[in-house]
Amino acid sequence: MSIQFLVVQLFNGLILGSIYVLLSLGLTVIFGTLGVVNFAHGALYMLGAYAAYTFVSLLQVPFFAAIVICPIVVGLIGIFLEKTLVSRLYNLPHFYNLLLTFGLMFAIQDGIKVIFGPEGEPFNIPDVLSGVVDLGFIMYPKYRLFIILLTAALAFGVWFFISKTRLGAVIRAGTDDAGMVSALGTDIAKTFTLVFGFGAGLSGLAGALSAPLQNVQPLMGMDMLVETFVVVIIGGMGSIGGSILAGLIIGELITLGIVFWPPMAKVLVYAFMAFILIIRPRGFFGRAEFFE
Amino acid sequence: METKKNHLYWIVPAASIALLFLPFMTPYKALASQMLIFAIFALGYDICFGYTGLLSFGHAAFFGLGAYTTGLMLIHFAVPLPVGLLAGILVSTAAAFPIGFLSIRRRGIYFAMVTLAFAQVIYFVAFKWRSLTGGDDGLHGVPRPPLGPIDFTSELVMYYFILFCFVLAVILGLRIIHSPFGKTLECLRENETRAMNIGYNPKFFKLISFALSAGFAGLAGGLYAALQNFVPLFTLSLDTSGDIVLMTLVGGMGTLYGPVMGALSLVYLKDLLSTYTNVWPLILGLLYVASIMMFRRGIFRFWGRTKLSS
Repeated sequence: MSIQFLVVQLFNGLILGSIYVLLSLGLTVIFGTLGVVNFAHGALYMLGAYAAYTFVSLLQVPFFAAIVICPIVVGLIGIFLEKTLVSRLYNLPHFYNLLLTFGLMFAIQDGIKVIFGPEGEPFNIPDVLSGVVDLGFIMYPKYRLFIILLTAALAFGVWFFISKTRLGAVIRAGTDDAGMVSALGTDIAKTFTLVFGFGAGLSGLAGALSAPLQNVQPLMGMDMLVETFVVVIIGGMGSIGGSILAGLIIGELITLGIVFWPPMAKVLVYAFMAFILIIRPRGFFGRAEFFE
Repeated sequence: METKKNHLYWIVPAASIALLFLPFMTPYKALASQMLIFAIFALGYDICFGYTGLLSFGHAAFFGLGAYTTGLMLIHFAVPLPVGLLAGILVSTAAAFPIGFLSIRRRGIYFAMVTLAFAQVIYFVAFKWRSLTGGDDGLHGVPRPPLGPIDFTSELVMYYFILFCFVLAVILGLRIIHSPFGKTLECLRENETRAMNIGYNPKFFKLISFALSAGFAGLAGGLYAALQNFVPLFTLSLDTSGDIVLMTLVGGMGTLYGPVMGALSLVYLKDLLSTYTNVWPLILGLLYVASIMMFRRGIFRFWGRTKLSS
């Protein structure tokens, strides 16, 4: 096995990791603010991919326009779901929202199956981003490099937004004491709706970005969902830094697992989670007793 | 308490008669058997979810483990059916100890996610270990060997055998929840800190509750393998874990009859919907959403306690 091959695989791990990072950022922001474990997150990711397919392949919208439109569309769907359903269960035990979004996951998945059919749709890498870049030591596909850079920028943006801006401060305060924030004159309900929409938009973007890497099919979200959960468990629920670190680790673990020991690649991920649970039950950067 | 007892006077005989004639009321006899199997599964699951407040999202693992173990025992060792079932129960219960031990390190929704993740491990192992489990083709050719004069190949005999197991499960379930142990579980659900201060070890009781419910799941899984003559990989999937939560919740968690009713009606409904339309998963998904928005206490919660902690 050559060093070059290994480096390419490490890069591929970064791609998968980037998609996990985008997905788990949305999941963790929604959880950290609203206390909602969004099982529909994978379905929203799948919707993002189908939105990209609809805009680019069916409506001939340029790819770069589509990756702006798709997150907005999915974000609006998220806002709609939060307004009509999720927000009504905030004052009940947390698991009601978990179960609600679980049901939504199936409804969305099968809704898409009814509209587009159960088979996958092919989606080509846009012309501008096809081809390879010479990085000096390896040749690497342009599109994949684009994903890595975009994710890095977005991860920084999300971190900056939550920890450095005023709205971010309101969101963080709302996590700890929604009643107090509301009493101080902030419309916390509106903030919560925006946070849910934002998280949904991020997963929509992840879906749109990963569409050219695979066939777009109704179950693609389900496949990612549980691993995204593992990412946020390992990273520490609600922690942005934890999501980024754990997302990249899991991405590498799966990719290297597929290289060295294919049948056990996925199991490796869960074994790692079990190990983390034993030595540090709350994950890398998780707060103890947070939303328990 | 008095009204509850009065209800029991007519409910128990009525339910018994209904269950005796159930196979003659369903479109085909095996459907009645399937309904009862999921009723056993839901009844056991409620000990952990409804009574102890542990939302496990990975109970398909124990259902599937029971199904594969019983299936493999019947295929490779030609054991009598009850022995195969016992093996299924034992393996499921045994697996629940390490999984439960790791999962109960986290509480609430974390617990749900961790159990889900461990169930996925077992799913992937079964998926990849083709030589043992048949991978995604499932485990074929599970026999139903006769036991003395009892011929299990008859669908009706199989149904009454499953009914017998169901009755045993109900009796055991009632014994568990009405024992001091059962009361301790409820106490844990309502206020874990208080239970700990009284002197109970929450982790110990949670683990036992988790393992007990896994045992019921193992029995249900074993019966499923024998009934279908086949173990699909589906038995281990996330869908199955979700189904059992839905059945328990729709029926009314924290009552044993609620989940039983939930299981009976949802299995029936699923079969009914799938004969008329191929968009039934969509309808079930919407039903799931509707039941959580509107019937949070369970559709069958006409009597008994209606307490809902928040």
